[in-house]
Amino acid sequence: MHEVSLAQAVWRQVAAEMADHAGRRLVAVHVVVGAMSGADPESLEFALGLLAAESDWPDADMDVRQEPVVLVCRGCGHEYEMTEVRLVCPACGGADVEPTRGMELRLESLEVE
Amino acid sequence: MAERIRLEKTIVSENDRLAAVLAARFDEAGLLAVNLMSSPGAGKTSLLEATARHLSADLRLAAVDGDLATDRDAQRIQRAGMPCRQINTGGGCHLNGKQVAEAVKAFDLARLDILFIENVGNLVCPASFDLGEHRRIVVSSTPEGDDKPVKYPVAFRSADAVVLNKIDLIPVTDFSLDAYREFVRDVVKPGVPLLELSCKTGEGLDAWFDWLRAQRAAVAAEVAGRRE
Repeated sequence: MHEVSLAQAVWRQVAAEMADHAGRRLVAVHVVVGAMSGADPESLEFALGLLAAESDWPDADMDVRQEPVVLVCRGCGHEYEMTEVRLVCPACGGADVEPTRGMELRLESLEVE
Repeated sequence: MAERIRLEKTIVSENDRLAAVLAARFDEAGLLAVNLMSSPGAGKTSLLEATARHLSADLRLAAVDGDLATDRDAQRIQRAGMPCRQINTGGGCHLNGKQVAEAVKAFDLARLDILFIENVGNLVCPASFDLGEHRRIVVSSTPEGDDKPVKYPVAFRSADAVVLNKIDLIPVTDFSLDAYREFVRDVVKPGVPLLELSCKTGEGLDAWFDWLRAQRAAVAAEVAGRRE
């Protein structure tokens, strides 16, 4: 439901980066959304595309990739990918696990010509 | 030939920036700000009514309340004795920092002990919107079923306490308290308490009031620690 406001934040960042590459053309925007970031990749890609159409680079490709949640156990140090909704360390059974990846929205890279 | 520019930048939304401003104001005022999230009808307003009745004598409480279109919640909370400002989101599915910043202008924050922010009933979108709060509560209720924690892990994972309301209804539902407790344990941050209560009968409410008092003290210490 709020992917449009997220897309606006992405585009603000893209515009700021492109200001450093004046005169060049934006070909693609690569965004990574964590599986637990709360954003839906498909809706975000759609919203980014709508904003692209209004930008200086209407043909730029909007690529949104979902990244899995990576957890690290503070008890035993085991690092693993979350495959089920269960925040318990599979190695030691401890509950003190912390997501290190997969919680955020990241502007990974731009392609320019 | 296109050149690839690697950025790896976390997107900080406009809302995150506003939330940081709100958080600073809440710290400055010396109050405890609590964001309540739940699905519609779980009992956020009932919990605030009960809180108003029991704690208004000792603590200076106020609330802002998010609702799509009506002011029914704010009226209920005010009738129970807590000043409350209604925020109508006009169909919006969550509160954002801008709405909260506007609504809290109704209060002299420095004269409050606890500010409650009752979010729009929804367990998806509110979880992604920081409102500058010190503590975040997820309220769920027994008729909703015992698997809510694993169905909405982002919300439950972000909670500092989980409230299970309507425990008086367990005998007439298929709700399994054991299953619920396990689901909660599986998704919440370590040490996050589960407060089982009924706003209707009053059972378990004391633990909620104790938790609030403890958080007031803990947040005051955290804020003082950051200033040093």
